[in-house]
Amino acid sequence: MVLKLKVFGIPRLRGKGSLHRSGRGWNLARVVAGFCLLLFWAVVTPARAASFTASLDNDTLTLGQSVTLSLAFEGGSPQNVPAPNVPGLQINQAGTSQNVSWVNGAMNSTVTVAFSVTPQRAGDFVIPAMTIDLNGQRLTSQPLQLRVVQPSAASAAQVESGSQVAFMKLTLPASRIYAGETTAANLEIYLRDDVQNFGNLQFTSTPVDGFVLGKNASGQRYRKQIGNRVYTVIPISIALTVTKTGNLSLGPFTASMVIVLPAQNQGGDAFFNQFFNPGQQKQITLATDEINVESSPLPAQNAPPNFNGAIGQYTMAVGAGPTNVTVGDPITVRIQISGRGDLGSLTLPNQSAWHDFTLYPPTSRVETTDPLGLQGTKTFEQIIAPQNPDVRELPPFSFCYFDPDTGSYQTLTQPAVALAVRSVGATPAPTIVTSQTAGPQTPARPEDILPIKDHLGVLDQTGPPLVTRPGFLVLQTAPVLAWLAVVVWRKRTHRLANNPRLRRQRQVGRLIREGLNELRQFATANQSDEFFATLFRLLQEQLGERLDSPASSITEAVIEERLAPLGAPEPLLNQLRDLFQLCNQARYAPIRGSAELNSVIGQFEKVVRELRELTA
Amino acid sequence: MKNNFPYLACGRRRKKSLNHSQFKPRYLGSYWILSLLSALVFTGKVFAADLPADFNAANKLYAEGKFAAAAAAYEKILQTGAVSPALWFNYGNAEFKLGRPGRAIAAYRQAELLAPRDDEVRANLDFVRNQVTGPTLHESRWQDWLGTLSLNEWTMLAAVTFWLTFMLLALRQIQPAWSPRLRGLTLGVFVLTILSCGGLGVAATIHFSKPVAVVIEAEATARSGPFAEAQDAFKAQNGAELPVLDHRDNWFQVADGSGRIGWLPARQVEVLPGA
Repeated sequence: MVLKLKVFGIPRLRGKGSLHRSGRGWNLARVVAGFCLLLFWAVVTPARAASFTASLDNDTLTLGQSVTLSLAFEGGSPQNVPAPNVPGLQINQAGTSQNVSWVNGAMNSTVTVAFSVTPQRAGDFVIPAMTIDLNGQRLTSQPLQLRVVQPSAASAAQVESGSQVAFMKLTLPASRIYAGETTAANLEIYLRDDVQNFGNLQFTSTPVDGFVLGKNASGQRYRKQIGNRVYTVIPISIALTVTKTGNLSLGPFTASMVIVLPAQNQGGDAFFNQFFNPGQQKQITLATDEINVESSPLPAQNAPPNFNGAIGQYTMAVGAGPTNVTVGDPITVRIQISGRGDLGSLTLPNQSAWHDFTLYPPTSRVETTDPLGLQGTKTFEQIIAPQNPDVRELPPFSFCYFDPDTGSYQTLTQPAVALAVRSVGATPAPTIVTSQTAGPQTPARPEDILPIKDHLGVLDQTGPPLVTRPGFLVLQTAPVLAWLAVVVWRKRTHRLANNPRLRRQRQVGRLIREGLNELRQFATANQSDEFFATLFRLLQEQLGERLDSPASSITEAVIEERLAPLGAPEPLLNQLRDLFQLCNQARYAPIRGSAELNSVIGQFEKVVRELRELTA
Repeated sequence: MKNNFPYLACGRRRKKSLNHSQFKPRYLGSYWILSLLSALVFTGKVFAADLPADFNAANKLYAEGKFAAAAAAYEKILQTGAVSPALWFNYGNAEFKLGRPGRAIAAYRQAELLAPRDDEVRANLDFVRNQVTGPTLHESRWQDWLGTLSLNEWTMLAAVTFWLTFMLLALRQIQPAWSPRLRGLTLGVFVLTILSCGGLGVAATIHFSKPVAVVIEAEATARSGPFAEAQDAFKAQNGAELPVLDHRDNWFQVADGSGRIGWLPARQVEVLPGA
């Protein structure tokens, strides 16, 4: 703030000075002078150095309680204050406040950023030193210590005395349990009768060893007298599944909650206070004792062969239909297992007596009747198909479970169901549940997934998509290159079509190439007449193309008449004359040797090269 | 060994039947061109011959209700590098029967990537998705529409229209007289090329830059930072599909549908390309 006055105040002072000189009035000058004095005072007042401090409003607390971390910035306002990251502490920003004061003419501004710190476990924590950039200065706070202690359960004496505003109890209904058994623990929260209200109940720690916590459900509240005080009891049931044998422990569970107690010393009439006391909020922590329990393995003795791990108390009902079928027709066997236990994990036991049937994967549905999901009915639907017409009955169905209350195995058996199975030729595979079962107007939700596919189908290999394969991408340049090639070819053809001289030049070039081959053949065969006739024709073609004249009009005379004026070099003209003369002489002395004819070819090639360099 | 890929067999037979004296440049050239094209487009589809037998054995285990053994058998086939929609589909069924909806969803999504219009895959995927509670990813309608073709199908569509466009352009150069008649067709194919390339671009962007993490554990706790001691951000149920925003070491940063962001350890999720 002081710095801003220094920077922006001086130019403004000069501006006002110019107004003073313009004579706008004495009053204005006084205002400006006063402002200058104020500005001078602000400039000369020594700026307080910026500082940064961190503090906790409490350095020891019980797990479940929160503490406030305050970061105070004096002499500036920080741009960004990140929340410290301390494992085991949940730190959330709670707000920002600013305090401006004038002490002995010096302005003091303090910005405080508050964080709510909630421990997630007991122990000693250190909130590390933080470094903040404040007005270009890097300031560092001091590290802070925080001790979080585990809440302890209220003793029996404290409970009986009624001194505890609230406490919590954890109990297990059975002292002996079995591995794999699902049971329910009872947690009770006691609130003394002077607690006006409560809320924000949060479990801060639920340690279990050898259990898996399941669903929980609150029960009906009731009142209970303990000592000479009355408590409101909030029961909570928690589903537990035992996962191992041996000594297991449950708890201590800890929780925090906010309760409202009558305000103390609020004055006024005591009679009215009992009706209009707004109360005061208080955060409390609750803890239970640890429960140790022995978990036993299921007895190996007398275990039925088709026991598949079901523990609880159950009853069973089995139905099958239709019972009058042909071979391969589906029969739906509906098995309902009702009772108490972990219904979700129940599976159908293997029925070894059903060897004359094709079995399809069963579908299942669980309907629970209690909020913990431990009581209810699980319904299996098993589709089976008789494999031959000799099948007369559906063999008895049995289901075994272990009853933890009696400590023994129980077997439920459903008697055999009579079947009438007829023989047929081809039998279609049964449809279990498919999306086609839905009606056209009211699509029903499928009850299970569609069955597996019988055929593997076309195999592919795990690999990157086509679009990322370099080979595939390179292949895509082929049509572009092909198109470009066609375009070039087309332009070349077009150019030739529109340029007769060029076309003739190319035609003559091709004629000369072919003619040279003929000349070599005639030279080898020593056919001098044909050789010189061809040579004369080629000379005509080449000179005609160069001079843009018909080939038939070319004679030796054009050398003097047209080539010489074009600036053809004399050696070229001489060589041309020689070639024409050779052609003429051949009419009179036709027999020449191959070597001589070959030398004429070389001479002709040289003349053609030089002629092509001439511009017509 | 049963061979499903005759073009490879053709190449092998030809190589075997020609000795050195019979080698002629044109044979050599066509053989190598065929091999090169095969290698460029279809990289090595050679699998063990008994995969169908293994698949049937796994199906039998499934039919007998031995879902864990069936899942292991399907997984073993997948480990060979061979994939097919049916294989992923059946694997997803086995995982679902084992009470692992997350792994089932991941398998169905893999099947959907290969066969996006398979009604059975979509039905089972929808069925398992309906069992999942808590935050999960909901695809928009246009993403659904894009998903009617797999990325490779989009690629092939774009490639075919691209080739067709340039072939028509080349034909118009070769036969200028046909040019007026081919103009409308060329324009139509060009527009198709632009559209299919656009579709491919969007599909590829989603595939490569918008991966999805499927939670495969009973309940995964997303944390505010990529370390085990970080604060809880939110919880995701088994089978939740969450968009992946970032990853660091063995942690994936994911978002739930309500805008909350958290980090999940890699062992709790299966990360799949965006569909």
